Amino acid sequence: MFYRVAQSILLLVGALLAGSAVAANTGDVKTGKLVYERYCLSCHGAQGNGQGEAAEYMSIKPRDYRQGTYKWRSTPSGSLPLDSDLEHTLLNGLYGTYMPTWRALDERSRRDVIAYIKTFSPRFGTEKPQDPIIIPPDPGYSVASVARGDAVYKKYNCAQCHGAGGQGDGPSAHELKDDWGNGLVPYDLTKGHVKCGDKSTDIYRVFMSGLAGTPMPTFADSLSPVDAWDLVHFIQSLSPLYAKNMASGETGGAR
Amino acid sequence: MTRHGSLRVVAQVAIFAIVMFAFISPASAIPAFARKYSLRCTACHESWPVLNDFGRNFRDNGYQLRLGRDDTVTADPGYWPVAIHVAPSYVYKKVTNQATDQGNKDLGSGGVADAGMDLLTAGVLTPNISFLVVPTGFASNGNVHLESYWAYFSRLIKNSDWFNVRVGQFEIDLPASSHRNLELTDSFLLYAYHPSVPGGTNLAGYDMGANQRGVEIVGHDANSLTRYTATIFTAHDSLGSANGFDSPSFYGHLQKYFRFNDGPVSQAEVGLWGALANYPTQYLTNGGVPIAGSGSHLQSSTRYGMEANIWFGPLAAPLHLDLVYGHGSDKKDLFQGTADRSGSFNGGFLEAIWVPRADLMHWSVFGRYDLIRNQTQPLSTAPSNFNDQNQWTVGAVYTIAYSIRDEVALHAEISSDKAKGVGYGGLDQRTDSIMFGVDFVY
Ligand code: HEC
Ligand code: HEC
Repeated sequence: MFYRVAQSILLLVGALLAGSAVAANTGDVKTGKLVYERYCLSCHGAQGNGQGEAAEYMSIKPRDYRQGTYKWRSTPSGSLPLDSDLEHTLLNGLYGTYMPTWRALDERSRRDVIAYIKTFSPRFGTEKPQDPIIIPPDPGYSVASVARGDAVYKKYNCAQCHGAGGQGDGPSAHELKDDWGNGLVPYDLTKGHVKCGDKSTDIYRVFMSGLAGTPMPTFADSLSPVDAWDLVHFIQSLSPLYAKNMASGETGGAR
Repeated sequence: MTRHGSLRVVAQVAIFAIVMFAFISPASAIPAFARKYSLRCTACHESWPVLNDFGRNFRDNGYQLRLGRDDTVTADPGYWPVAIHVAPSYVYKKVTNQATDQGNKDLGSGGVADAGMDLLTAGVLTPNISFLVVPTGFASNGNVHLESYWAYFSRLIKNSDWFNVRVGQFEIDLPASSHRNLELTDSFLLYAYHPSVPGGTNLAGYDMGANQRGVEIVGHDANSLTRYTATIFTAHDSLGSANGFDSPSFYGHLQKYFRFNDGPVSQAEVGLWGALANYPTQYLTNGGVPIAGSGSHLQSSTRYGMEANIWFGPLAAPLHLDLVYGHGSDKKDLFQGTADRSGSFNGGFLEAIWVPRADLMHWSVFGRYDLIRNQTQPLSTAPSNFNDQNQWTVGAVYTIAYSIRDEVALHAEISSDKAKGVGYGGLDQRTDSIMFGVDFVY
């Protein structure tokens, strides 16, 4: 009996090895489909249109992948994201939305599922993502920098959407829609958790690359890197969570 | 089984299958976590109910995804943390050399098993406190009781994942969970086995896989790839114990997972585990009944061993092999004068779970081989292989439907178990089972 069991196991292993030769570094689309079906399908849908069975019940809708439009990128406005941007989103999750972190998955599964979700948009076949924006090192949080950031915030009229106190209640806040026609609210800057990562570089890239598909614009053409860092520090100063982390020397927000 | 007998079995299975299919309609209520987080069962379960990496990490984190919508205030207001699980099944069982008052008999019988229903309720109270309560025994002839209940206090020191505390009645963190296994007709021999004396007694009768009452400390890294648990508990059914810490038992488990970015093996794991259960061997009685809390002269039942897991192919649809080895010994005095020395044994199992690369992970095929070999018989004159056991189980699950609200699966399984010298007149005993059922949670 035992030998028969052992024999069948060996046969199974053999069959699997034959079926799973995966090239290194680039994800395997076929395997990515399995990863997608196991983890992502219920929200993003079998067609990648963001209309999985759960989507109906969510106020912030899952991404429709078909346009290749991604909010959180290191690439300039209008560009496709890099694989590493998508990886960043998977590692981080999107705070406050239904999109979980997929950190507990192995790197291979993430690589494969990224390759798979890209197949939903023809753009990945015809365009190349542009080079990532350059994020100079954080000059450091200081009271002076926060004060300068406050002025930048006023100058560029962030309050139009985010409100004078940063609470997401500006005059335009209620009429905003994204490219898919869903209403969305500007981020409440006092909450201390931006959706995609709490590092200062995560905040920097939001307004220097813009959140594609949303009214949140890019300010890359008008803001200097120095102004941009002051703005990051100002945003951090609005939230007690960041203030606490700055004091304890941590770079990220609370998780 | 005679030819006539097997025909009868086939007919019964067929009738059962028709009845089951007639009754399956899409369930509409909701498995607690799937609904809360809008995930399918497959997100947390390699093959339901076996946890995968994402599920293990979710559980270690106190059933939280930690993206600001876990607790009762931030979660969807429609969320109600209850799920039910029932597995109606047909089981045919045949036992050979059964001792009866009428002599040696081979017994075979089949029918729809009296399934129980589990009501599972679990969730997050505050970002640092989670809970689980499982009343069970909703069977036609059962008494409802709490199978498990616990509160989990997470990240108690400096918000670190390395120190979480579970209090209540729960399954200790065994190498493979015996509450989350695929096999339904057989249990893990290694967890429940105790050396025995022919016709004698052993005070230590606990099944490591049963839920125990106690306190567990859990620590893990961010992705639960390195983790430990340390438990202090009172072994179930210990006579004269106050179910407090007057006869404490201990369990520890250490695990490390390794990931491989290329090649046929995607993940491997190794672990060490050990349990030291203590039983009072003397206690006061009243009307012959042991008085709780009066026990003394503790004697130990120890188990320790190692484990190794390996995953071939993608983790989303793997072939998962799990090998567990254990050594056990029960002290002489536990046998209450019927033994002349302590008893010991070696045992373990090899389990395989295969999720074929089919659309939507509809299938899983599984098998397990369990082995017990006595090393020292507690009674020196007993045959050296008395109660040595071999057992195998093979089965398949086909999931008819997955959604964020329910899961319905067909489950078929056969198993066979052989034990040396425990049947009529010291003959070997063999138990064969065949089972076909439908398993649903919602
Ligand atoms: C429980 C629902 C849910 C599941 C499951 C889910 N997502 Fe999402 N996902 C969302 C939602 C909601 C958003 C949009 C959030 C927003 O725009 O604020 C999103 C957005 C995304 C984005 C877009 C990020 C950007 O820059 O625009 C990516 C990429 C993504 N998900 C990948 C995945 C992958 C891969 C999986 C499976 C491993 C997955 N998601 C599983 C709900 C889910
Ligand atoms: C036209 C309206 C509008 C203006 C002007 C605007 N924002 Fe936004 N902003 C949004 C919206 C809408 C979102 C939310 C997008 C989403 O979550 O999908 C957002 C999100 C953000 C986020 C959070 C991103 C995340 O990852 O969660 C930050 C930070 C931010 N804005 C900063 C700024 C700053 C700084 C300015 C001024 C330089 C600014 N915004 C100007 C509409 C605006």
